[in-house]
Amino acid sequence: MTGPSLEKDSIVTDVSRSRLRRSLLWGTLGAVVVVALLLWKPTALIYGVQRAGLYAAVAIPMALVLGIVHIVNLAHGEFMMVAAYLAYFAARLLGLDPFIALVPVAVVMAVFGLVVYLLTIKHTLKAPELNQLILTFGLGIALSQTVNLMFTSQSWKLSLNYVTASATVGDLSFGVFDFVYAGVAIILAVGLKLFLTRTRFGKAALAVGQNPRGAAIVGINVDRTYAIVFALAVGLVGAVGSVFLTKQAIFPLVGGPYTMKSFCLVAMAGVGNIVGVLFCSLALGLSESIINSIRGYAGWSNIVFFAIIIGTILVRSFRERKA
Amino acid sequence: MTRALRIAIPAIVIAAAVLIPFVSGPYPLAVARSVLIYMALALSWDILLRSGQISFGIAGFFGIGAYAAALAVLKTSMSPVLSILGAGLVAGVVAFLLGFVILRLRAVYFSITTLALAEIFRVIIQNGGDFTGGPEGLVLPKLIFNGEAKALYWMALATVLLACMVSMIFQRSKLRFALTAIRNNELSARSSGIHIFKYLMIAFVASSFLQGVIGGIQLQGYGFASPDSVFDSYYTLLPLAMALLGGIYSTPGPILGAILLGVAAEYLKLKIPYGHLVVYGIIIVLVILLMPQGLFGLYRKRMKARASDGERAPGAERASGAEVRHG
Repeated sequence: MTGPSLEKDSIVTDVSRSRLRRSLLWGTLGAVVVVALLLWKPTALIYGVQRAGLYAAVAIPMALVLGIVHIVNLAHGEFMMVAAYLAYFAARLLGLDPFIALVPVAVVMAVFGLVVYLLTIKHTLKAPELNQLILTFGLGIALSQTVNLMFTSQSWKLSLNYVTASATVGDLSFGVFDFVYAGVAIILAVGLKLFLTRTRFGKAALAVGQNPRGAAIVGINVDRTYAIVFALAVGLVGAVGSVFLTKQAIFPLVGGPYTMKSFCLVAMAGVGNIVGVLFCSLALGLSESIINSIRGYAGWSNIVFFAIIIGTILVRSFRERKA
Repeated sequence: MTRALRIAIPAIVIAAAVLIPFVSGPYPLAVARSVLIYMALALSWDILLRSGQISFGIAGFFGIGAYAAALAVLKTSMSPVLSILGAGLVAGVVAFLLGFVILRLRAVYFSITTLALAEIFRVIIQNGGDFTGGPEGLVLPKLIFNGEAKALYWMALATVLLACMVSMIFQRSKLRFALTAIRNNELSARSSGIHIFKYLMIAFVASSFLQGVIGGIQLQGYGFASPDSVFDSYYTLLPLAMALLGGIYSTPGPILGAILLGVAAEYLKLKIPYGHLVVYGIIIVLVILLMPQGLFGLYRKRMKARASDGERAPGAERASGAEVRHG
C-alpha cells in the first residue's frame, strides 16, 4: 500500500516544484523588466502601475463571478458605469465624496445585481453557454443605453482637488492619486482571497465553484450561493465604479472596454486565480504605458494590449488541450 | 406547408422586394436599403453560429470589407463593382489566415477574441497614416451607379440574395449535419469522423466573405469610411439581435427578424434620437429568456406539434424526427 501513495507524493512534489520554478522564472523576468524600466523610463513604470491598478480593480470582481458562478458577465463594465453614475449623483445632489459614497453605492448595486440575477441570469444557468453569453451582452446594452436615454451621451466629470496631488522624486514629478486604484485592487484581491479561504460561506462558495453537484450533495445551498456571489461581485464592482469616478470622465459607453479588458485579464490569469489578476494587470499596464511613452506610437497601445491577450489565451487553450 | 407554398412564398417575397423602388418614395427606399444591409449581416452571422461559435466580430470583417473596397477604388482605380468582390475576398483571406489560430478557441474565448480582433482592425486602420486616411477616413470621389437610389437598393437586395443562397447551401448540404454535430457535441462529432477544423474554417471564411462584401456595398453606397463609422459596434449588435429575434440556425429567421427590428429601429430613431438602442438590449434579453428559438423557431415548433396532433402516420413521425435535428 505504501508504494502507490509514495509515487503519488512524488508526483505532487514534482508538480509543485515545476510550478515553483515557473513562478521563480516569471518573478525574475518581471523584476528585471521593472528595474530596466526604472532606469530607462521611470514615468512609464509609474503610469503603468497606476493603469494596472485600475484594470485589476475592475477585473477582480469578474474573476469572482467567473470562478464561482461560471457565468461570463458581459455586462460587467456596464455595472461599473451605472455605479459611477450613482456616485456622481451622490456627489452632486448629496455632496458625498466618492470615497464615502462607495459604501451606499456598493449596497445599492449589490441589491441591483441580485435582482438582475434572479430575474435573468438564474434562468439561463442550465441553458447552453451561447444563451448566457448573449443574455449578458444584451443586459450590457440595455444598461448602457438606458443611461444614454436618461442622461444623453455627454461625458461628466467631478473636479475634486485631491486628485491632482503630485510627488517629486529627484527631477521627476508625477501624479500620485492614481495609485489609489492599485491600492483598491490589492485590497480587493487580498480580501476576496481571505474571504474564500477563511470564512465558512467563502469555503462553501469555492466548493460550489469546483463542483456544484458535489457541493449540493454535501448540503450547500447552491442556488443561494450563486445569487450571493453574483450580488457580491456587482456590489464590489459598484464600489470600484465609485472610486473610478474620482478621476475619470463618465459616459454611457465608458464601461464597455473594461468588460473586455477584465475578461481578458481573468482568462490570462486563469479562471479562479484572483491574485493572478494583479500580476497580469501589471504586465499589461506596463506594456501599454511603455508603448504610450514612445513618441508617435501612443495610438498603438490598445493593439499591444489585445495582441498580448490573444496570445495568452491561445497559449493557455493549447496547454489545456494538451492536458 | 405544401410544396407549392414553399416555392410560392419566397418567390412572392422576392418579387415584391424587387418591385419596391417603383412604388415607394425616396425615404422608405433608403430605410429598406439599410434594413437589407443588416439582414445580409444577420444571415452571415447565423452561418457561423450553426457551428456553435458566437462571433462578436461582425463589425470587424464588415469594416475590413469597406476599407478594402475604398482602397481598391482609390489606389488602383478598380471598377466599383469589382471592388465589392475584392472586399469579400480580402475579408475571406484575412479570416482564413486568422482561422488557423482562432478557430482552435472555443465558446467564450472565441467570442471575446473576435470582439478583440474587430478592435485590432480598427486600431490598425486608424493608425495607418495616409494610406488608410487615419482617423478621418476615406472619401470616394463618386458613388457607384452615380448614387442612383434604385440601383443602390437592388445592389443591396442582390447581396441579401447572395447571403440567402450561401445560407441555403449550408442548410441543404451535408455541411449542415457537420456543423450541427459540432455544435451539439464536438467530441462525438469528431469520433464520427467529422473533420472539425475544416468545417469550422469553411463556415468562418464564408461568413467573413459575406461580411466583407456587405462592407464593400455599404462603402460604395455611401462613399465614405472612417474607423469609427464602419467598425461601429452597431454593425455587430443589430444583426445579432435580428437573427435572435427571428430565429437562429435558419434562413427565414434572420430575414424575418431584420424586417421587424429594422423597421422598428427606424421608427424609434425618429421618436428617440438618443438611446433607442435600449430596445435592442431588451429584445435580446427577452428573446433569450422567453423564446430562445426565436419567432421562426416557434413557428416550426407549432407546425411540428400540429403534424403530430393530426395524422399519426409514419410519415409525420419521420418529419418531426427531422425537425429535431434542426436543433
